[in-house]
Amino acid sequence: MLRASGIEHAYGGRPVLSIESLELPAGTITALVGPNGSGKSTLLRILAFLEQPRSGTVQLDGHSIRTTADRRRARRRVTLIEQYPLLFRGTVRHNLLYALSLHGIKGVEASRRTDAALERLHVGELRDRSGEDISDGERQRVAVARALALRPAVLLLDEPTGVADRAATAQLYRVLEEERSQQTAICFASHQLEDAYRWSSRLIALADGRASAVTPENLFRTVIPEGTGTRTARVGPLEVQVFTDKCGPATIAIPADELLVSLEPLHSSARNHFPGKVMRISEDGRGSVTLIVDVGVDLAVRITRASLEELGIKLGSEVVLSIKVMAVRVF
Amino acid sequence: MDFFIDGLRRGIELILGGDPEVYDITLLSLRVALISTILACGVGVPVGFLIGTTRFWGRRAAITALNTMLAFPTVVVGVLIWGLLARRGPFGGAELLYTWWAIVIAEVVLAAPIAAALTAAAVQGIDPRVRRTALTLGASPLRAHIAVARAARFALFTAVVVAFGRVLAEVGAAMIVGGNIRHYTRTLTTAVALATSQGDFALAMALGLILFAIALTVNVLLQLFQGRVNA
Repeated sequence: MLRASGIEHAYGGRPVLSIESLELPAGTITALVGPNGSGKSTLLRILAFLEQPRSGTVQLDGHSIRTTADRRRARRRVTLIEQYPLLFRGTVRHNLLYALSLHGIKGVEASRRTDAALERLHVGELRDRSGEDISDGERQRVAVARALALRPAVLLLDEPTGVADRAATAQLYRVLEEERSQQTAICFASHQLEDAYRWSSRLIALADGRASAVTPENLFRTVIPEGTGTRTARVGPLEVQVFTDKCGPATIAIPADELLVSLEPLHSSARNHFPGKVMRISEDGRGSVTLIVDVGVDLAVRITRASLEELGIKLGSEVVLSIKVMAVRVF
Repeated sequence: MDFFIDGLRRGIELILGGDPEVYDITLLSLRVALISTILACGVGVPVGFLIGTTRFWGRRAAITALNTMLAFPTVVVGVLIWGLLARRGPFGGAELLYTWWAIVIAEVVLAAPIAAALTAAAVQGIDPRVRRTALTLGASPLRAHIAVARAARFALFTAVVVAFGRVLAEVGAAMIVGGNIRHYTRTLTTAVALATSQGDFALAMALGLILFAIALTVNVLLQLFQGRVNA
């Protein structure tokens, strides 16, 4: 569907993006993860044909998009929802009708699509409110509804749940999942790794404008209590035993390859045991499988396909994840 | 003080009494000001829009040139236009010198940079997401510009009003290229200058009051427009 290759971009001589190749196939959800300033938003604007890279090409359905007229046509099929989306003056409904009018859709069809899109995002009751008088979270959902009403072939979202609560986040991603099943190519940028793992079919980690070789799995911000040696760090509802000399704010990494998966608690040297439920299973095609297990937070675990089959793990299976204290990295 | 009050009283009598010369001058001034404002904004607003929204080679130089033109003395513009329209000048054949069209030309040269500079500043101040959002929703570049213009409408309207004010209040260039000919090229400002120099303080006050009333009316209309759009 959308393919970018050899993308190089710079602001005032400072390189900000260098992407060798990136593909957003139809019917997939790709997550872009990375810290602030890693180039996620710039990449999304380039993919949305709102910014032109210094070099490289972006193809839509196999056609290189080069000229102003090409970009104009492409933008009618690719829509970006910005991190802080803007609603135009007027009511929520007017915003959707305006977007549809840009595509030549008016009258009954426009009203029908507007109402359906607002209902889908559970913001139907806001239809007659001014875009300026609604909360940030509501504005974000209205912006998604406005984009979905256009039925784009490629939907790009920059931190779509930045201001949403957990329930609204899950609701939004479920809508994206439905959209994906309609063969829409979806790409969202998020700094919430749990969301990225849980809701995407593919994950691209960006660091300093480049696709990173290291996938930043199971990284959590925490506070290490005072003391030395083994301490207990809290990650949301999860208590993780760590061994470190550090104390105070820190980042911990629970390596996905070093987590053990079992159906019952293990009697072993591992002192961290996290019971949870398998929420997602994705295969990389080379015989390894990544599980997303909800243990209070979402943890990614990588095991072999053979182990998966031997344990009979399916979506919704209750499992226990175990890891040695020494294997939890603190930095 | 009596001198002032007496001048003001006689000025009001001239206006209310329907003095034909006062009305003649007012109508000519309004005609010149309206046509000049339309032409100046017709050129200045699109140029300002281009400078404010597009990155192109020489943009900084264009902004510097515009800002310089804002500070251009009106008599200098008057002299330049006089030179161009004089019989010996390149456009002498058009025989426009000492007609009200000559005043219009000079006022357009003076007001267009104001309209352009204020438009550029207005659209530069608009949230860049307005244009990006319109484009990503499928707007053509023209429709995206219209979205930006809608967002900047108050500032754009102010640009038009300021250009109108400049044209209405201008005296130097109008005097040079129009010649202040009675019933023909005498505008409110040139008439005020002449009446004052001739010691006809009452007429000068009457014309000054009309200028003030026009400025007040335009600004009240602007306020009403803003209030109506904000409601």
